[in-house]
Amino acid sequence: MIFKLEDVTVYFPYDNIYPEQYSYMLELKRALDAKGHCLLEMPTGTGKTIALLSLITSYVLSKPENPVKLIYCTRTVHEMEKTLAELKLLHNYQTRHLGPAAKILAIGLSSRKNLCVNSRVLAAENRDSVDAACRKRTASWVRALAAENPNIETCEFFENYEKAASAAVLPPGVYTLQDLRAFGKQQGWCPYFLARHMVQFANVVVYSYQYLLDPKVAGIISKEMQKESVVVFDEAHNIDNVCIEALSVSVRRQTLEGATRNLSRINQEIERFKATDAGRLRAEYNRLVEGLALRGNLPIADAWLSNPALPSDILKEAVPGNIRRAEHFLHVLRRLVQYLRGRLETENVEKEGPVSFVASITAHAGIDQKTLRFCYERLHSLMLTLEITDTDEFLHIQTICDFATLVGTYTRGFSIIIEPFDERMPHIPDPVLQLSCHDASLAVKPVFDRFQSVVITSGTLSPIDLYPRLLNFHPVVSRSFKMSLTRDCICPMVLTRGSDQLPVSTKFDMRSDPGVARNYGKLLVEMVSIVPDGIVCFFVSYSYMDEIIATWNDSGILKEIMQHKLVFIETQDVVETTLALDNYRKACDCGRGAVFFSVARILLARLEYLRDTFQIKEGDFLTFDALRQAAQCVGRVIRSKADYGMMIFADKRYSRHDKRSKLPGWILSHLRDAHLNLSTDMALHIAREFLRKMAQPYDKAGSIGRKTLLSQADLEKMTNDGSINEMLY
Amino acid sequence: MSGAAQVTKRAKYKISVKDPGTPGALRMNDQKLMFMPDNRNSGAKLVVEFKSIQGHKYTKEGSNKPPLINLANAQGGSYIFEFDSYADLHVCRDFVSKVLEKSKETPNAALEKSAVKLPDEQLSEEEMQLRIKLLQENSELQKLHRQFVGGNILTEAEFWAARKLLDIDPSKKSKQRVGFKSAMISDIRPATDGRTNKVTFSLTPEIILQIFAEKPAVHRAFLNFVPNKMTEMEFWTKYCRAEYLSRTKNYHAVVAEAAEDEELAVFLKEDDILANEVRKKIRRVDPTLDMEADEGDDYTHLPDHGIFRDGTKESNELQSEHYRRTLLQDLNRHAAVVLEGRTIDVEREDSTRALAEALARSKRGNEGADNNANEERLDRTPRVAEIEDLQAPHCLPLAPLSIKDAREYFDSQQANTLKASRDSQASMKCSLSRQEAYGSVRDAISEIKDMGLSDPIVNPEVALKVYSGLTHNISSIKYHLGKNPRETVLDRLPSATKEKLLYHWMSIQELLKHFWSSYPITTPYLYSKVNRLKDALSNIYPQLEEMKESLPADLRHQVSLLVRPMQQALDAAIQHYDADLQKRSAKSGEKPNGYI
Repeated sequence: MIFKLEDVTVYFPYDNIYPEQYSYMLELKRALDAKGHCLLEMPTGTGKTIALLSLITSYVLSKPENPVKLIYCTRTVHEMEKTLAELKLLHNYQTRHLGPAAKILAIGLSSRKNLCVNSRVLAAENRDSVDAACRKRTASWVRALAAENPNIETCEFFENYEKAASAAVLPPGVYTLQDLRAFGKQQGWCPYFLARHMVQFANVVVYSYQYLLDPKVAGIISKEMQKESVVVFDEAHNIDNVCIEALSVSVRRQTLEGATRNLSRINQEIERFKATDAGRLRAEYNRLVEGLALRGNLPIADAWLSNPALPSDILKEAVPGNIRRAEHFLHVLRRLVQYLRGRLETENVEKEGPVSFVASITAHAGIDQKTLRFCYERLHSLMLTLEITDTDEFLHIQTICDFATLVGTYTRGFSIIIEPFDERMPHIPDPVLQLSCHDASLAVKPVFDRFQSVVITSGTLSPIDLYPRLLNFHPVVSRSFKMSLTRDCICPMVLTRGSDQLPVSTKFDMRSDPGVARNYGKLLVEMVSIVPDGIVCFFVSYSYMDEIIATWNDSGILKEIMQHKLVFIETQDVVETTLALDNYRKACDCGRGAVFFSVARILLARLEYLRDTFQIKEGDFLTFDALRQAAQCVGRVIRSKADYGMMIFADKRYSRHDKRSKLPGWILSHLRDAHLNLSTDMALHIAREFLRKMAQPYDKAGSIGRKTLLSQADLEKMTNDGSINEMLY
Repeated sequence: MSGAAQVTKRAKYKISVKDPGTPGALRMNDQKLMFMPDNRNSGAKLVVEFKSIQGHKYTKEGSNKPPLINLANAQGGSYIFEFDSYADLHVCRDFVSKVLEKSKETPNAALEKSAVKLPDEQLSEEEMQLRIKLLQENSELQKLHRQFVGGNILTEAEFWAARKLLDIDPSKKSKQRVGFKSAMISDIRPATDGRTNKVTFSLTPEIILQIFAEKPAVHRAFLNFVPNKMTEMEFWTKYCRAEYLSRTKNYHAVVAEAAEDEELAVFLKEDDILANEVRKKIRRVDPTLDMEADEGDDYTHLPDHGIFRDGTKESNELQSEHYRRTLLQDLNRHAAVVLEGRTIDVEREDSTRALAEALARSKRGNEGADNNANEERLDRTPRVAEIEDLQAPHCLPLAPLSIKDAREYFDSQQANTLKASRDSQASMKCSLSRQEAYGSVRDAISEIKDMGLSDPIVNPEVALKVYSGLTHNISSIKYHLGKNPRETVLDRLPSATKEKLLYHWMSIQELLKHFWSSYPITTPYLYSKVNRLKDALSNIYPQLEEMKESLPADLRHQVSLLVRPMQQALDAAIQHYDADLQKRSAKSGEKPNGYI
């Protein structure tokens, strides 16, 4: 359908539109007009992504004098693929109606591991070894050597790509990672470098959060993105955690041991170069005297990770004199590793701020703040000089330098915590020095500062006023949309008691009670026998899931469950989990039915800092954090309004209003008072009734009173008689 | 049975239709037929038991063929006799059909065979067996068959042509393969006798198959070791020992044992075949849920980056140990195998060795098919991306239902819906006085005048209610026919009448089915068939009437209610026949030499 939204003609690839999609687009358009940031919450299953993509692409089409680029960030690669698939659908629709004028270039970008088509490189196990295997074949000095010595292996895809030079471009279109690989294979060009190159020309770039938020990645990938871009963080309810993870580093004994090995290897390399090619080290020294301006002049395959979160003046400053020479830098690092080793030998938990920690380093190891701050850049430069390609072997020393740079850069928002052992296993010494970031706004600040509009959107952003405080920004639009439902297709319930009327909870002191485990088991056994297709069952942690499944296995509950549904389980092995998930979906699709056991991760957090800096209470934050996880889990229950599903909150704590009220409004509005304090048998009765009701055919468009599905004609009529505003507010 | 127990006629015995024939006398009694040639030396003397006769055909009076009768025997041959006149033929024909019919009533094979075999129809042995079986099992069908085929209203072929649906032999049909058991039977548990320290494991072929399917390394080990290196018994003893060990969760003991015994280690080690398979499978996973790709993209998964000990990354040093297989992995593997389905049957009483080999073969066979899966995966992604209820519905590929007897299925469905609609009808019954009805109509009219017609004019729910209310009676009559064991109209009738009614209803249906399926008439054959059917149909009228007359007055009304739909159906058929005939004669008037 094609319709007018104020001065923008929107091309929407479906025959109908949900009213909330329309309102969502309208708010988004106003934020774009105002060139400001916005925060939009709309429940899952209402087609957020397609509404967003339609509006932004149509906005660009309607205002060609103001070409904005769309940078779409997803949390995961599979969401990236899904977004691109939706964009493809939209793009086909737009080119059908507008012809070639609507053509855009949209690409997904991921790591070498996900884009490489060279089978020998791909044989490597993980991302880092794929990266290294690629560097080993594409680094400029390797290729220079290979020109003389045919026995040195290069990558034919990269060679072809280089040969094609400026002719190597992607024709307009929408490319998923899979499409990129297929295109690369067909042309014989390396898809990874092609995609990296095309990022600056693309109208839409879809990639992972980290490409913008993680300073180690963002500098290289995202520094050329123009200010006139719209940045979208989809499924952004966890964005603060991503930001924090990106700036947190931990150092363990293994790290220090590895770093020591790395340092001696570097030392050997330096000695070798001194003997064979001393001029090279001297050239590096001279370059460093002039400052860190080396960036940008490197061939693309050599480019390293750099750090835009650092204050920009670091680029203009020269590297401090005491680490310009390679061997001096090596000494500094040795002293740092030695110092950290000493700090790990503690018997008590210690906590320190960055300022006092840096002071202590200066006093004991003689390394000042400025030197620390340059460690990461200096290491990077040194490794390039030494022509090291097996970068995956040097992760430990990189971690140490990363740590040094962070601790030397930030004076607030961080703390250093040293724990001598894991609190679950106090008898096993396993010391860890953790540099934890408390302030999510640090990593995201450059993004807000740099780009014209940043859209933060998710199905669950409640309470919506918390996010601007956590991320420290000022949205021009901040709205939460309700879901207009044709029928009550979600059925939340709070189960507080088992069939024996004893309370159930995963509260820490009740978790290991066998009666509670049995009651949960019984609930699941009953549910698998009445729910068709799929059930997902969330546990609070891996260890709890392990424990309870073992209990169920011994008591025969698992066997009873298996009589009705296949059982798939999330494990800590990602490959296994992916296959389990794929099988789970297959089993649901083919009607066999399955139950999936998963873990809802609940992160413990940086409570004190939040209280002091942003005036957010600990209890509030904990509840918020736990409930947003819960909401995320259950929020997936429907993918569209044609679906239906039940959500059972099986914990007596949900019966308390103060906890429950943090759930998103669209779930709360379906939570009836009668469903707040149920026992297993009552829940079963409700579930049976609900499922029977939902299985009936229904009228998709909604009753006459309240439309839940609008056609183009409906929209036009409503715009003309002004009733569109009623619908919106 | 006619009074004559024996018939003797002059006839010529022919080997084929073209054969000039041997003149002689044909004598028949209810056991056998005998032919004595005039020339005693001709060698054409014949004695045939009627038991071996399967069917008979004869030429029609009025055709320009000589009066022939053709008796087919079980071996596929036939005896052809030419009579002097049609009168002789008719006498013999009636005699033969009676004798054959009589032998049909005794449930032996000969009778059924006589009913089945037709020289003009190439029947396979199985199909014949099937027909015989059907007739034996279904007395109603047998009755119909006797009446119509025996009464020459329908030919054998015609009768069966309408029953192709039933002709699927359940034993012939490719049997549905039974999948793996949902329960984890491969997770064998030891039984103790309580007195000694001995534990016992019991394995069945079913369990063994599941073990092979879930643990390819054990499967491979079996193929390698048995019987060259060890006996089957030894193999399984070792396996059970390994199971017992890993159940104790004493990892040091496991490691120690594995180090001592390399064959035992095979069972305790991580399954390398499985690991390879997993690597292959992960490439085919739906990209929209590929979490492995996420990890490949996630720079916070660098070692020592991100928050440590936050509950997400739990220390897993213990699990990285080589000999630890977790329950969770086993569960996932089991469910995956069950979902994949079974590739071979185990019902055969095979040795374990044969089982293992069959499984290996079927695995090799599967490998080729994997490539297609990749293609399919590629076009699944865009479909997942679509929001279904914003779009006009797609036609999804449907697997056809496999229903053995469609009638049975739909009848039972109808019974369900009828029950439901009856319930709803009860609530619908409302009584309006004339005033109220008038008032409501007036209101409705004035409303329409004021506001125009609403869209839709009639509320669909109301419309459906009215519609089902009105049609309920129509379908219920059929439904009540013998379906509900309690209180039906039929049960109030004497059982003889009930039987008769049901029988008539059945035969009318049978005849009408053939009648209507013969239209449009395109060949002379169909024309003659329709004529035959029409005669049979018109014969039913008087029978119905007669039945009605014979009843006492209080039942007569009920019966006539039941009979009315039958008569209506018959009327419709006859009417159609007449109309068609008129049309034809009008046409043939134009074409005096028309072929009919």
